[in-house]
Amino acid sequence: MQQLYDTLTQRFSLGEFTRQRADLAFITVEAVRLHALLRHLRDQEGFTHLVLLTAVDWLEDGQFQLTYLINNRAKCQDLGLRVMIARDNASMESIHDLWAAAATYQRELREMFGIDFPGSPRLMDDFILEGWNAAPPYRRDFDTLEYSRATYRERPGRETRDPAAHMKQQLYGDKGDV
Amino acid sequence: MSISDVLSPFTAWKNLFRDPVTIKDPLNERPGAARYRGFHKNDMDKCIGCGTCETICQNGAIDMLPVEGIPAVQGDSGLRPRIDYGRCCWCALCVDVCMTGSLTMSNEYKWVESDPDLFRFTPGVDKKYWDNAELGYQRHDEKHLMPVAREEMPELHPEARLDSFVEIVQGYNIEQAKLEADRCVSCGLCIATCPAHMAIPDYIKAVRDGDYERGVQLLYETNPFSQVCGRVCTHCCEDSCAARHEGDPIAIRWLKRHIIDQVPQEKVIELIGKPAAPTGKKVAIIGAGPAGLTAAFDLARLGHAVTVYEAQAAGGGMTRYGIPEYRLPYNALDRDIAVITAMGVEIKYNQRVGTDITMQQLEADYDAVVLAIGLHQGRSTRIPGSDHPQVRKAVDLLRQITAGETIDVPKSMVVIGGGNVAMDIARSMARLQLQHYGEIRVTLTALEDKAHFLADPVEIKESLEEQINILDSRGPQACVIDDNGKLLGLKTWKVLSIFDAERRFAPKYDPADEQIHEGEMIVEAIGQMADVSLLGDALTEKLEWNRGRIQIDPNGRTSENWLWSAGDCVKGPDVINAVADGHRVATSIHRALTPQEATA
Ligand SMILES: Cc1cc2nc3c(=O)[nH]c(=O)nc-3n(C[C@H](O)[C@H](O)[C@H](O)COP(=O)(O)OP(=O)(O)OC[C@H]3O[C@@H](n4cnc5c(N)ncnc54)[C@H](O)[C@@H]3O)c2cc1C
Ligand code: SF4
Ligand code: SF4
Ligand code: SF4
Repeated sequence: MQQLYDTLTQRFSLGEFTRQRADLAFITVEAVRLHALLRHLRDQEGFTHLVLLTAVDWLEDGQFQLTYLINNRAKCQDLGLRVMIARDNASMESIHDLWAAAATYQRELREMFGIDFPGSPRLMDDFILEGWNAAPPYRRDFDTLEYSRATYRERPGRETRDPAAHMKQQLYGDKGDV
Repeated sequence: MSISDVLSPFTAWKNLFRDPVTIKDPLNERPGAARYRGFHKNDMDKCIGCGTCETICQNGAIDMLPVEGIPAVQGDSGLRPRIDYGRCCWCALCVDVCMTGSLTMSNEYKWVESDPDLFRFTPGVDKKYWDNAELGYQRHDEKHLMPVAREEMPELHPEARLDSFVEIVQGYNIEQAKLEADRCVSCGLCIATCPAHMAIPDYIKAVRDGDYERGVQLLYETNPFSQVCGRVCTHCCEDSCAARHEGDPIAIRWLKRHIIDQVPQEKVIELIGKPAAPTGKKVAIIGAGPAGLTAAFDLARLGHAVTVYEAQAAGGGMTRYGIPEYRLPYNALDRDIAVITAMGVEIKYNQRVGTDITMQQLEADYDAVVLAIGLHQGRSTRIPGSDHPQVRKAVDLLRQITAGETIDVPKSMVVIGGGNVAMDIARSMARLQLQHYGEIRVTLTALEDKAHFLADPVEIKESLEEQINILDSRGPQACVIDDNGKLLGLKTWKVLSIFDAERRFAPKYDPADEQIHEGEMIVEAIGQMADVSLLGDALTEKLEWNRGRIQIDPNGRTSENWLWSAGDCVKGPDVINAVADGHRVATSIHRALTPQEATA
C-alpha cells in the first residue's frame, strides 16, 4: 500500500497516510481533489468497487469527516479516502457518476447528517426517516432524549427516584435535634 | 471442463448430513439469534441501583424505583430499573453502560398482554419466562463505555523520597484530573458513605468542567479540611463507588485534592464569603484538631464568637503531630487552618486546659464549650521491661518529630503494632536513620497475619519499598535488657490466634517459636486513649460515661448541658469522621444558642 501511496503522490497532492493493516490503509485528501483521485484509482489502480461512504461529526472542530472506502478485488485491498468538510452548510461534490450506488449513500448522509451533494439523483427523497421534520439525527448536537420526550407521549403513572436523594432519605437524612 | 467441476455436484451431497441453518418448524419455533437483543434480564444480586442505565437511555424508557425487600445500604441505593416497553427500542445502551454487568438481554421477543401497563416491568423483580434464558445480548467483556482503569497518580520512587520528608504523592495535573473525572457517572452512591456526605459527583463535575471555583464552594459546603482530606482521607466513599464493580473506583480523594490545589488561598476565602452578623454568643473549643476546628468554622460562620484553646504550638491536632509530613505537608494543613481563622476564629496556642485555664472558668465565661481533645496518650503493652526509657510510644515520638525536637535516633529499632500509626512511625524513623547513619534497620512486628493486617495495603506496600522489615503473627513477650540496663531488643512468640470463640481479645502463642528482634529502641504503636485529666475530679464525677468514654447524645452533647464533645475522644476513627462530628455539634450548639420561634 505504501508503494501505491508513493505512486499516487507523484500525480496528486495528498494528505496523511495511515497504514492500518497490510490490506487496509487510509489517505486524507482535500475535497476538491477527491473526484479526480477516485476516478484514477477506479480506472488505473483497480479499485473498482465502492464499499461504503460514511460520515463522522467532529462537532468540536466544526467539521464533518467523509470516508470513501474502495476495494481492489484482484489484490484484496481496501483503501479509505478521508475528506474533511465544513460542518456549516455542509456540501460535497457527488460521485454518483463514478459509482451509481453512491447516490444511495449520499441520500442517506443527506438525511442523517444534513450534508448536501448537489446533482445527486433523488437526494431529497426520504431514505428511512419518513416524514422527519427535526434536525438530522446523526448530528452530534441532536438531542435524542429531548426529541423522544417531545415526540412520544408519556404513559401516565410513571415516577422515578434519584439514587442519592433516596439514600439520604433512607440512610441519614437530617433527623433534627433529639 | 476441469475434474472438480464434474465432481462438485457430488461434494454438495456431504451437506446432507450437516445440521441445517434454517429452522425446521418456522411456524411454531422461532428462537431469536444467539446475540439477539430481546427482553431485558437483571441480576438482583449484582445490580446496585446506580441509575446509570436510566441516565443513558435515549428514549426515557427507564425509571428507578424502590423494590420490596431490597433496602438501601452502603453502595446500593436499593432502587431498581423499571423499563417501559412502550418506549424502549432495544438499542442495548443500558446493557452496554451497566456499571455492574447485572443488566443483560435474553433472545426472547414474544410477549402478549391485553393490559398495556404490564409492559412496564422491573426485570429481575417481576418474574418472566425468559429470566433464565441462556442466550441473548451481553456486553463484550472488553467493550466498556467507561474506562475501567484509574488514572495513575504520579508518586516519588523510594530512592527519591527515602532520605527526606517530602510529599510522596504529586497530585494530578489538569489533564489527568479531567480524564479521571470523566470516569464518574454521577450516580451519587458514594455520598451516603462519606461521613460528611460531601457533594462528590457535583465536585467531580466541577473538575470535568474545569470550574475550580465552583468546586471549592462545593467542598466548603461540607468540609473545611479539603487540603487534609484530599491527601490523607481514609476514602471509605471509594468502597461504595459504582465504578469499583467492573474496574477501579473513581479516585475521589485525589480529585478533591486537585480542586483545592488549583485555587489560591485568598481566592478560597473570597469564595466562601463573610460570616453572618455577630450573635453575641461565645463558644469555647478545646483542641484545634479537625473536630474542634470544623465546629469552630461552622459556628464562626453563623456569627458566634469562637475561641479555641490548643495545648500545642500549632493547630491540626493529630493531622500535624501524628501524620508524617511525607503524607501531609504542613503548608497544606496551614492553608486549611488559615481559611478557618479568616472566619474570625481565634486560636489560643500553648494553652492547655486543665493547667493554664480550668473547665470551670470556661463554663463560666462561655455560652457553650466543646471538648475535642482527641486521643493523645499512647497505650502500653505492659510487657516486662516496657517501662524502660528507650521503650517509647509512637504518638509521643511523632509529636517530637513534628515539633522539631532532637531525637536520639537509634541505629536499630523495633515497632510493635500493625496499624497505620505503626507504619507512620516506622517510616518516619527509617528516614531519620538514613539521614543519620546511611542505613535503615527497622523491624515491625504485628499480631495479625498478613491477610488480616490493620494497616492500609498502600501503607504496607510503601513500607516494604522503604526497607521496613515487616513480621506478621508475632506477639510481644518482653523487652530484653542486659545487666547494665541497656535495651537489646524485643522478644516475641508466634501468634496462633488473636481472638477467642466469643471474639474477645485473647491472643494464644507458641512459646517454642521464640525470636529476639534487635533494637536499641522499642516503639509501642498499639492504640491511643484520651487524656481526660483536664476535666478535674468534680466534673469527671458529674459527667456520664460509657465504657471509659464520655457519654454523648446523637448530637454530641454530654450529660452537662453546656458541654459538647466531638472527634476521636468520643467517636473516631479518622479525620473525615472528626469533621462530620464537628458539623454535628456546631448544628446542635447553634440550635441551643438560637432562641427557637414559638411553635404552635
Ligand atoms: C499517626 C497517626 C496517623 C493518622 N493518619 C490518618 C490518616 O491518614 N487519615 C485519617 O483520616 N486519619 C488519620 N489519623 C487519625 C486522625 O488524625 C484523627 O482521627 C483526627 O485528627 C481526630 O481529630 P480530633 O479533632 O478529634 O482530634 P485531634 O486531631 O487529636 O486533635 C485534638 C487536639 O486537642 C488538643 N488538646 C488535647 N488536650 C488538650 C487540652 N487539655 N487543652 C488544650 N488542647 C488539648 C491536642 O493538642 C490536639 O491538637 C491518624 C492518627 C494518627 C495518630
Ligand atoms: S434498550 Fe435502549 S431504549 Fe431500551 S431501556 Fe435500554 S437504553 Fe433504553
Ligand atoms: S446500570 Fe446496572 S447496576 Fe446500575 S441500576 Fe442499572 S442495571 Fe443496576
Ligand atoms: S464517584 Fe463513583 S459512586 Fe460517586 S458519583 Fe462518581 S461513579 Fe458514582
